[in-house]
Amino acid sequence: MDEFNDNEIAKLLRLKRHEQPPPGYFDNFLHEFHRRQRNELLRQPLWRICADRMRDFVFSFNLSTLTSYPVAVTAVLICAAILSLRIYQTPQPATTAIKDRPVLAVPASTDGEWTLASPVATRVFNTRSLRNMTESAQTHRTGTPPRYVLDSVPVSYETTFKF
Amino acid sequence: MRRLSSFNCALGLPWLVQVAFFAAATPLFAQSAAEPTAISREVKDVFERCSKAVVKIEATDQHGQLSGTGFFVDPTGTLYTAYSVGGEAENVNVLFKGKKYPAHQLMADLRSGIAMLKVDMASPALPIGSSEQLEIATPVVTIGYPLDLAETPSFGMIAGFDRKCFGGYFPTKHLRVNLPPQRGEGGAPLLNLKGEVVGILLYSFENNSCYALPIEAAEKIRSDYVRFGEPRYGWIGTDVQEANTPVDGSRAVTTEVMKGTPAADAGLKPGDVVLQIGRTKVHEAEDILEASFFLTAGDAVPITIARGDERITFQIQADLHPASKTRLAAPPPLNRAIPLNLQSEPDLTP
Repeated sequence: MDEFNDNEIAKLLRLKRHEQPPPGYFDNFLHEFHRRQRNELLRQPLWRICADRMRDFVFSFNLSTLTSYPVAVTAVLICAAILSLRIYQTPQPATTAIKDRPVLAVPASTDGEWTLASPVATRVFNTRSLRNMTESAQTHRTGTPPRYVLDSVPVSYETTFKF
Repeated sequence: MRRLSSFNCALGLPWLVQVAFFAAATPLFAQSAAEPTAISREVKDVFERCSKAVVKIEATDQHGQLSGTGFFVDPTGTLYTAYSVGGEAENVNVLFKGKKYPAHQLMADLRSGIAMLKVDMASPALPIGSSEQLEIATPVVTIGYPLDLAETPSFGMIAGFDRKCFGGYFPTKHLRVNLPPQRGEGGAPLLNLKGEVVGILLYSFENNSCYALPIEAAEKIRSDYVRFGEPRYGWIGTDVQEANTPVDGSRAVTTEVMKGTPAADAGLKPGDVVLQIGRTKVHEAEDILEASFFLTAGDAVPITIARGDERITFQIQADLHPASKTRLAAPPPLNRAIPLNLQSEPDLTP
C-alpha cells in the first residue's frame, strides 16, 4: 500500500476504466476459480494438507454444543460406569477375617475322609453356626467365655422331715 | 313451641348426664393411664438407688471361669451371692465401679445355697427388708449382671411361696418370682419397691420365672457366722411324718425319736403331734422344715406337742445338725465378728 499514493491509484483506475474481460469470462468464472484453488492446494505438502483438515475439523465444533444436555448425560453415564467398576471390583481378603474364620471342615473322625475305595464319596462337614447366642453377646471379649451362673435346680434338697 | 321445648328438654337431660359421666370418668382414665408410669418411675428409682451396691463377681472353679452377681449388705464390703458363684470358687474378684477387687470367702452354705464374701473396702450397702410382708402379686425388682452385660434391672412379681420343686423339698420356703432371669444373675438381690432386699435370686424356673431365697434365711446364716463363724443349723433328733387325722390342726406326728438326741433327753416320744416349734405353728409335716431351718445349735427352743389329751411344751436345746457335723473338719472359733478393714469412707446406700 505504500508503493502507491492516491494520485497514482486514481491514474491507474483511469487507465483501466475502458478495459473489459474477454467475452465469456464471467460465464466460466466460478469453474476457473475452483480449478485454480485446487491447483493451489495440490502444490502444498501432504502434512500441511492433513494439518489444515484437522484444524478445520476441530474448529468446526461449537463449544456450546459440548455443554449441551446429551453431552452431560453421556458424561454422567461414563462416571457411573467407572464407579460401578470400582464398587464391584473383587476386594482383597482381610487378614483378620482369615484369622477369625471358624474351622468348618475339620472332621471329628476319619469316617468322612475321601478314599479311592468308593468312586462317589459324600462327606458331611462338621459345621457349626458361626455364632451362638453367647458368642453374640461377647462382642468385646477374647478367649474362652466364662460360665454365667444361674442354676436351674437347687444345690441341695431336704430328704426327710427330720429336725 | 311447647312441643319443641319439651323435645329440647328430652334431649338435654341425657346430654347433661353424658357430660357428667365423662367428667367423672376422666380422672379414672387418667389414673389408669398414669399407673404404669408411676410403677416405671418406682422401678427406675429402685434401680438408680440400688444398682451401685450390686456387683459382678468373677471367679474360677473346677469347671473354669464363672461369672455371677452379688450385692453388699454392710458398709465394710460384705456381700451375698449364690453358692454356685462363690461357694466353691477360687480367685474371686468383684467388679465395683469399674475396678476389680479381690474377695475372699467368709462362709458358704450348701443347704441354703448362698455364700458370703468379703472385699476389704468401704462399700455401699443395700437395706435388708422383710419377705414376710410380701404377698402374691407384690411387685419386685432384681438387678443383675447377665452374660457380659452391664447391670440390668428386671421387673416382676411374687408368684408364690413354695416349699418344694421338681419333687424335692427346699430347706425353707422359697419365693417363686415371675420375672425373666438370665444367666449370670445368680446371687442377684430381689428388691421390693422400697429398695430393700427381700430375697436372693438362686434358681431359674421354667420361662420367665425363678426362685429366690428369703432374706430372713440368709440373715439367719449371717447371724450364725457372726456368732459362731459358721452356719449352725440345729436339730433335736426326731422324724416326723404326715398323719391321717389332724390334732389341734396339726398332722405332723413324730414317728421316731433317735437315741442320745436332745429330743430323747427331753422326753419326746413317737406318736407325739407337733403343734408349735418356737414361733412357728405347725399344721403339716412340711412346716417342720421351715421351723427346723431357723433352729440354731446351742439355742433352746420351745416345742409344743399333743400327747393324747395333754399339751406339753418342752424347752429343748438344739444340737448341731448331722449335716453340719460331717461338713466341719475342725471347730471354728466362736463369736467371730466380720473383720473390718476399711480403706476408704463407706458409701451408704440408698
